[in-house]
Amino acid sequence: MTIQSSARPVDTLLYIELQRFLFREAKFLDRRDYQSWLALLTDDVTYRVRIRSFRDSGAAETDYAVVDDGPVELRKRVAQISNARLSRAENPPSLTRRLITNVEAFHQADEADILVESSLLAFRTRSGIPEGGFYIGKRHDVLRRTGDGFQLACRDVRLDQTVLLEGALSILL
Amino acid sequence: MGFSRRVQDQCWVDEAAATVSRQVFVDDGVFQQEMDRIFFRTWGFLCHETEIENAGNFVIRRLGSAQVVVTRDDQGTVHAVLNSCRHRGAQICRSDSGNARHFVCPYHGWTYDRTGKLVTTTFDQHFPNGFKLSDLSLPKVPRLEHHKGLIFGCWDPDVASLADHLGEFAWYLDPFLARSPLGMEVLAPPHRWRTRCNWKVGALNFAGDSQHVLTTHAGPLTLDPVRAARAGFATAAENSFQVSTDQGHACTLTYLAPGLPAEAYQTHPPDLEPLYTGITPDQREMLKNLRVIVGTVFPNLSFIETQVGPSEKAIIMRQWSPISGTEMEVLSWVLAEREASPDYKKEVLRKGIHNFGAAGVFEQDDVELWASATAASNNPIALQYPYSFHTALPYLQKFEANGKWPGRVYRPADTEVAQFEFMRQWNRWMQAPA
Ligand code: FES
Ligand SMILES: [Fe+2]
Repeated sequence: MTIQSSARPVDTLLYIELQRFLFREAKFLDRRDYQSWLALLTDDVTYRVRIRSFRDSGAAETDYAVVDDGPVELRKRVAQISNARLSRAENPPSLTRRLITNVEAFHQADEADILVESSLLAFRTRSGIPEGGFYIGKRHDVLRRTGDGFQLACRDVRLDQTVLLEGALSILL
Repeated sequence: MGFSRRVQDQCWVDEAAATVSRQVFVDDGVFQQEMDRIFFRTWGFLCHETEIENAGNFVIRRLGSAQVVVTRDDQGTVHAVLNSCRHRGAQICRSDSGNARHFVCPYHGWTYDRTGKLVTTTFDQHFPNGFKLSDLSLPKVPRLEHHKGLIFGCWDPDVASLADHLGEFAWYLDPFLARSPLGMEVLAPPHRWRTRCNWKVGALNFAGDSQHVLTTHAGPLTLDPVRAARAGFATAAENSFQVSTDQGHACTLTYLAPGLPAEAYQTHPPDLEPLYTGITPDQREMLKNLRVIVGTVFPNLSFIETQVGPSEKAIIMRQWSPISGTEMEVLSWVLAEREASPDYKKEVLRKGIHNFGAAGVFEQDDVELWASATAASNNPIALQYPYSFHTALPYLQKFEANGKWPGRVYRPADTEVAQFEFMRQWNRWMQAPA
């Protein structure tokens, strides 16, 4: 999906509606209410998490995916971490809090789609790592208008990290 | 706890009992000794040739506890030099990778060429008369050798050749490195993550921990219909086997259970298989119906080839880079045949990282348990109770040798014999005179 960040910003009313979507969605993830969360996704959803490299200034920025899931992989991922019997990393589940800030939203060429950019700070503690750890990055989401609201069609999270510090990533960002 | 006390400790690996002291998985003194006796004395993996394809390309890697810059010069020759300026030690290169004509030290501006040679300081005129600047070139990794696209280095100038180090194990390695004429290609920069466990935990797991698969990875094994044939997996143990070779390398090969419908598992992609002309007929046979191979090149390079989609086989390469007694940094690459189509490579990368990347559905559960085992082992009570490798014991002497397959071949594949052989070799290195 091509993303046009320079496009027309949305009006205030729509902005509030989109922000409300993000907050509700973050709440579902923090509560581990995956059924409600999955209902917010389009059938063709894509979910990426990218990690970055340190490069000389002037050299092209490189980032690369540590998650590049289509709908099939994403649903499998959720099926694993939501089921105590099927996950070691998420049993006992991580305690998480997702803070979403710096929201900007833009209309896209396709009238149904809106690009929503935001900053994410996800805090996570889990069994064995009581002091917890952070994942911080920038989200580019594409929200698609459906009959009675929006669905998430595409999420691209670009982490401001080059090395994941707390083992393998087992929560959704 | 003192380093000298550790050196005298001879009981880390109890060969008669098939146990290994927990100290070797948590202790910083043991870690220091590993650095001195293993990581600065034997071959360590640096990078794949395709990561530094062109003149001036470089990557930063760790060799032992030292950081090195691996570069390619204008003639195409690869060099590895210490990433620390000869003047006052600054890192001459602070990017993870890139392309550079020169390396200019950010501190006082000493300039090195792509081979690490000092070409100029900003104050050449103040050096004593007749001083040769090139005497202050970056320390070179004295031994650098290639094997089928992999570049290894060693800090010991007198080390035996890489070919000697890989020995018979190359036979198992090569079908995953250079089976097609153009060989393999790294599809993306390595994923990197830190885990609070000792590097050997990863090395052992990949040498042949068949016993953890069904328990630890219940998630992906249950949820993936292709893998869900658990029965097939269990019976497959009958015609599967483990291998260890003299240098401590080990691998585990799991085959399709006889009698399963062939379409239950894809073997190798049908359009790529005809290209496998770089391997011998015996190696071709080794690949036939191979479900998973997982192995470790002593000390800390591992690989796995497994099916990641209906028609994709991913090769994952891993380095378990030691940080301390209780921490490692993992580097993880995904590879595919260079001849493969862009679409195939894209899917292999996507599905490879879904399974085995820094957020992989396999990886997340492994890593969690490795860290928890490390934390729980690091106390005086736990340290009195060595880890059990007892299921190696009945099999240690029961191997096939000099058969069709190189090395010592052990059946079945779900014992701990390959892991224990790795530890025995580790012990030999550690007990060797300083
Ligand atoms: S430390 Fe490199 S130039 Fe001084
Ligand atoms: Fe595993």
